[in-house]
Amino acid sequence: MAINTEKNSYTLMFAIGLVVIVGTLLAAVDSSLKDKIRVNKLLEKQQNILYAIGINENEGNSVSFISAEKAEQEFQKYITKQIYIQNNNVVEDDNAYLIDVKKEKALAKDPNYSRKLPLFIAEKDEKMLYVAPIRGKGLWDAIWAYVSMDEDMIIQGIYFDHKAETPGLGANIKQRFFMDDFIGEALLDSNGNFKGVNVSKTNLDPKNIDKYDNEVDAIAGSTITGDGVTAMIRSDLSLYQSYFNNIKNN
Amino acid sequence: MGLLSKKDTKLITDPLSDNNPITVQVLGICSALAITAELEASVVMSVSVLFVMGVGNVVISMIRNIVPSKIRIIVQLTVIATLVIIVDLVLKAFAYELSKTLSVFIGLIITNCIIMGRFEAFALGNGLWRSFLDGIGNAFGYAVILIIVGFFRELLGSGTLWGIPVLGDPIDKTGLYAFGYENNGFMLLSPMALIVVGIIIWVQRARSKHLIEE
Amino acid sequence: MEHIELFFKSVFIDNMVFATFLGMCSYLAVSKKVSTAIGLGAAVTFVLAITVPLNWLLDQYILQDGALVWLHPSLIDYNLSFLSFILFIATIATMVQLVEIIVEKFSPSLYNSLGIFLPLIAVNCAILGGSLFMQSREIETIQLATTYGVGSGFGFFLAILAIAAIREKIRYSSIPGPLRGLGITFIITGLMAIGFMSFGGMLTGGDEAPSNLENEKEEISKNIKIEDNDNIVYSNIDLN
Repeated sequence: MAINTEKNSYTLMFAIGLVVIVGTLLAAVDSSLKDKIRVNKLLEKQQNILYAIGINENEGNSVSFISAEKAEQEFQKYITKQIYIQNNNVVEDDNAYLIDVKKEKALAKDPNYSRKLPLFIAEKDEKMLYVAPIRGKGLWDAIWAYVSMDEDMIIQGIYFDHKAETPGLGANIKQRFFMDDFIGEALLDSNGNFKGVNVSKTNLDPKNIDKYDNEVDAIAGSTITGDGVTAMIRSDLSLYQSYFNNIKNN
Repeated sequence: MGLLSKKDTKLITDPLSDNNPITVQVLGICSALAITAELEASVVMSVSVLFVMGVGNVVISMIRNIVPSKIRIIVQLTVIATLVIIVDLVLKAFAYELSKTLSVFIGLIITNCIIMGRFEAFALGNGLWRSFLDGIGNAFGYAVILIIVGFFRELLGSGTLWGIPVLGDPIDKTGLYAFGYENNGFMLLSPMALIVVGIIIWVQRARSKHLIEE
Repeated sequence: MEHIELFFKSVFIDNMVFATFLGMCSYLAVSKKVSTAIGLGAAVTFVLAITVPLNWLLDQYILQDGALVWLHPSLIDYNLSFLSFILFIATIATMVQLVEIIVEKFSPSLYNSLGIFLPLIAVNCAILGGSLFMQSREIETIQLATTYGVGSGFGFFLAILAIAAIREKIRYSSIPGPLRGLGITFIITGLMAIGFMSFGGMLTGGDEAPSNLENEKEEISKNIKIEDNDNIVYSNIDLN
């Protein structure tokens, strides 16, 4: 073949050919896998929410979600209603669990925008549970959680996750020993004021026997991640308090 | 194996020891170190690099005679980038949890010097089959180091292997922990990966004296 | 100030070399001298300062989910993020070529000192890493992206300068044969990385609970309307 590979015209044609082939190939792969990826993201949210209300396959001391096959079913079974609160209105929305908390927080920086606050209502063992997604900043990057509470805003379950916290330190917010500490913790104080839960290094109750002290033991070496957790609970969960007051008054 | 001549077999075995991409050629360090805190991540990264190098070397070898020299580097980068994007999408679809840990580092396979290095040094001047062997040989060499580092870091850092506790339970204090053994959390931090690789180099050169620098 | 915090974070805590080990390949294999380290560091900083904001623009207006909406509102469903890697690399390769041509034309002396590094840099993990981390950490404005680029570059510069200085010094130490050269460099870099981790205490990190918390709660509590099929029920809530 006597192609002169040095000619500019050839270079141009080659480049165009390459772009076309690569573009087509990638678009094909992306569109064929897109649905599966979307399903994965959805499933993950469902598994997280189910975990927070106590539906999981935990064994020993490790965290184990309900399996992907069962997740969708269990989600339909336990989550009876999905709503979001915006602008003092409560709106029912079956896809409220897809609301992007990160986007809402960004939009809320504009004082004219009223943030959508999703809430998932579940019924389990004849108890009503309310799950709220919250999001905050850890040491390196974002941290988030799904918190389930009863109508007195006492935590019934919680699931933490993070993007880039240090493994073995900040990343331990995903461990059972940390998450389990939150179960039963009261978010309000005895007067009904919102106090949240403080991840504290000076906690005098390491075995977490007192559930009304609004404190849990911090993880050694993860001060800033712990502070992020405290702040996230305070800033995001407090926004739901009026909803709960309203339920109790009705 | 009748399929591989002696020269061909060398293409696979050399990178496993004497011509190891990480410890001898000093390539591919970047993406290797930050993700080796878990054995599973190391293995997935190795398999991804294996795929990209195997297919990549073959593709480059196929088009080596028709690539205009002016845009040679860009073409190589495009091929690698395309393969990496495919790997990334496949991971997100079939191993979602893992893809979150590996996220940025999968992208860094593109600038993984090993791949470009082998394209330039070998695939651009050799036939399909030999380029393929060279590619997977170097990928194996890379994988060996990654797996060794991942093995020690996970074992000593969290007492697990592939997520399964093997030394007992640190919270219930069973197994080795009953004797007061504690996980060396330091191992989970990335600087330790460098030190472990340094030790591997030490051991390797002590055994193959010809690799020692002056 | 956000910029100062981001700058310090990317130089000391999120250091390209010591926290994520990017950009070391070419350096470790090639140079053991302080002078070459300075050249490489300057070149990397320069390229990062240009490519990170450029790629931010690309990400914001083309790659992100729904980013194409500025072209035409119907394009909101398109998500081109799978093209990120290729487009970032393309911008980097192009920018490096451009920079090389411009520098050669306008400052031959600068070109002579930086010159040989520029082609190497296009494939340097640190450059692509800078853009990828910018995308993954969702940096919000282009000014912050530039600060991040400059900070990362400066951190890289500091790191390789320090390593080169140490390597020059230890050339005269009696290190055991098998450890000499590469082995000891790895271990020293590891130790330096551990040292840099101590900067982590500088971070204020995390989130401060908002001071306007009380105001926000009041706003929400004033009126909660519950839509219950046909009945609309008003209720006034008092927080205390």
